[in-house]
Amino acid sequence: MKKLFSNAKTPNAPGIPFLTFGLARRLGGLTGFIVMLVALASAPAFAEDGIAVDPRVSVKTIEPQRDVGYSVGDILERTIILEAKKPYVLLETSLPIAGNDKKRRGKGSGVEVRDVKLETTRGIDTTTYTLHLSYQVFTNNIVAKPANLPAEFVKFGGEGKNFQIRIPSWSFRISPLAVYGSVVVERDMSGFRGPLTLDATRHHQLLWVALGILAASLLGLLYVLGTSSWLPRMGGPFARAYRDLKKLPTTPEGLSHGVSRLHQAFNVTAGNSVFDRTAFLSRKPGFAPVGHEIDQFFGLSRTVFFEPTAPHGIDGDAMAWLRKFCRRCRDCERGLK
Amino acid sequence: MSSTTADSQLTDWREHALKLESEINKVVVGQERPVRLITTAIFARGHVLLEGDVGVGKTTLLRAFTRGIGGGYERIEGTIDLMPNDLVYHTYLGEDGRPHVDAGPLLRCGESLAVFFFNEINRARPQVHSLLLRVMAERTLSAFNKEHYFPHMLVFADRNQVEKEETFDIPSAARDRFMMEIPIAVPSDPDIMESLIFNTRFHNADKLVENVQPDVLHYDKLNSIAVNLQDHVQASPTLRKYALELWLATRHPGQYGVKIDGVDINRLVLAGASPRGMSMMLRAARVNAWLNNRDAVLPEDIHTVFHETVAHRLVFSPVYEMRRTEIARELLSGIVNAVSAP
Repeated sequence: MKKLFSNAKTPNAPGIPFLTFGLARRLGGLTGFIVMLVALASAPAFAEDGIAVDPRVSVKTIEPQRDVGYSVGDILERTIILEAKKPYVLLETSLPIAGNDKKRRGKGSGVEVRDVKLETTRGIDTTTYTLHLSYQVFTNNIVAKPANLPAEFVKFGGEGKNFQIRIPSWSFRISPLAVYGSVVVERDMSGFRGPLTLDATRHHQLLWVALGILAASLLGLLYVLGTSSWLPRMGGPFARAYRDLKKLPTTPEGLSHGVSRLHQAFNVTAGNSVFDRTAFLSRKPGFAPVGHEIDQFFGLSRTVFFEPTAPHGIDGDAMAWLRKFCRRCRDCERGLK
Repeated sequence: MSSTTADSQLTDWREHALKLESEINKVVVGQERPVRLITTAIFARGHVLLEGDVGVGKTTLLRAFTRGIGGGYERIEGTIDLMPNDLVYHTYLGEDGRPHVDAGPLLRCGESLAVFFFNEINRARPQVHSLLLRVMAERTLSAFNKEHYFPHMLVFADRNQVEKEETFDIPSAARDRFMMEIPIAVPSDPDIMESLIFNTRFHNADKLVENVQPDVLHYDKLNSIAVNLQDHVQASPTLRKYALELWLATRHPGQYGVKIDGVDINRLVLAGASPRGMSMMLRAARVNAWLNNRDAVLPEDIHTVFHETVAHRLVFSPVYEMRRTEIARELLSGIVNAVSAP
């Protein structure tokens, strides 16, 4: 939204008050006073703050879009267009200085000139100066606080004399950073406030990465707690022994390793060294369905490790029998009959 | 001797051994395990320490065995005033009024001495232990300017663990000479207990022992049979490794994860089984395998004799000695459970 501030309607009358008071002295009394009031009422050439508008320079301002919701650190930009008739030129030394904070009664206003840029466009009869001013807010309050972009005075020169033009101030409100007191957010639906959103893309990415790591860690933990198995009862001693047995060759050495591996499974399952069926079944009655095979296994073990000539009663390939027996033990271990 | 002949001889002797067992079990009821262990010790040629309360049948058991294996049987009672020479000779004034010297219990049977029973050995002085231990180890004795040999002798000694008055503890070196320490307990079967009270055949021990068939074995052949037997029964590399692990476990049970309630396992054992002890254990295990008609030792054979051949050799910290029997039983069971074979 552009706000135009025009002073073209006002004729220059800097000497009118003095003329009016002169006439009053001459007319004297009440008549003079009435004349003075009429003269004051019909003096549109005075600006609001009492500085007269100059016909040599026209002033237009383009103000920020909203006048509320500013807080400390915010930057406000306004553009001033000054159109000066020739031969008058802007004295650049009169421009506001960056870093300047206008003081009132020795106290800073908290609104500081941040940057000043000037563009000059020369026409036939006029010269247009476009002044870009940016201000930064350096104050705050616990409740909304009135503030303004201060009035600026720029000087022009020409025909041997100088004069100054006032750029009007512009009022706005500084909002508190934190809400003071009890506020119902649903009722605070000011369209001027605008949504204050932060860029959360990076945080989202980090969140997904963290979630991925967490999921992987949980899976790893599950694997560790499950004694290196993915499913309940998957990593039992006989299940692991069966996996090992499948990799062993069908040779005497393989058979020896296989029987030894199965002994390990029996020992781990029982919690102590197992040497016969009776002691094992008394601790693990779930293996009763393979009781006869356990006897055969210990017979095979006796032949393999202690007495090569002893009969073990297993027909055919002992390694194949061992794998089958181990699978049956695995089933018993998993509660299957 | 050819291999076939030796096998046949061992088979015959096994039958004799089993026959002897059955004969003993007829007269000493409810003691099958001690009978099997004594049979094992006889064929392993090891001395035996019997442990048990009074009146449980230790003497009857030994007399029955003596009758079954033949040979001489001598017995002496351990007392606090017993001196070593009392085992060798005794002097007395004869009817002719002159002093006489007779052979003592060790020398009385000469080389035919098969069983020497030392009753309540822990009542005898250490000097007596010393003499006896030499005889046990070397089976010789120097007396009357002569070397006496007892090639077939087995020493059976008994001690009462309950009574401590006027006793001398048998030092660990002495205990180590015994192949086994066999507990003799009252049978737990109520029928047998009732029979022991009411059956009149148990009232007269002499007559009871006469029921054993004499000379089932020939005591003078036992040494050679024992040698054949030890050569015949094999121990596989796996079994040797297992026996070695057991031995190491008796020395450092904590390293094998053995735990006993109320016992600091790392401070319990001052000395584990000795090499002689483990050698005796394997001799006994071989005999057990043979008695079970096997040509190779299995872990079960070792388990059968493990406690009886090892427990009395272990040297515990003095603080645990009072609970020796209980702790030794738990320790050895823990070792068998902890060490796997293969």
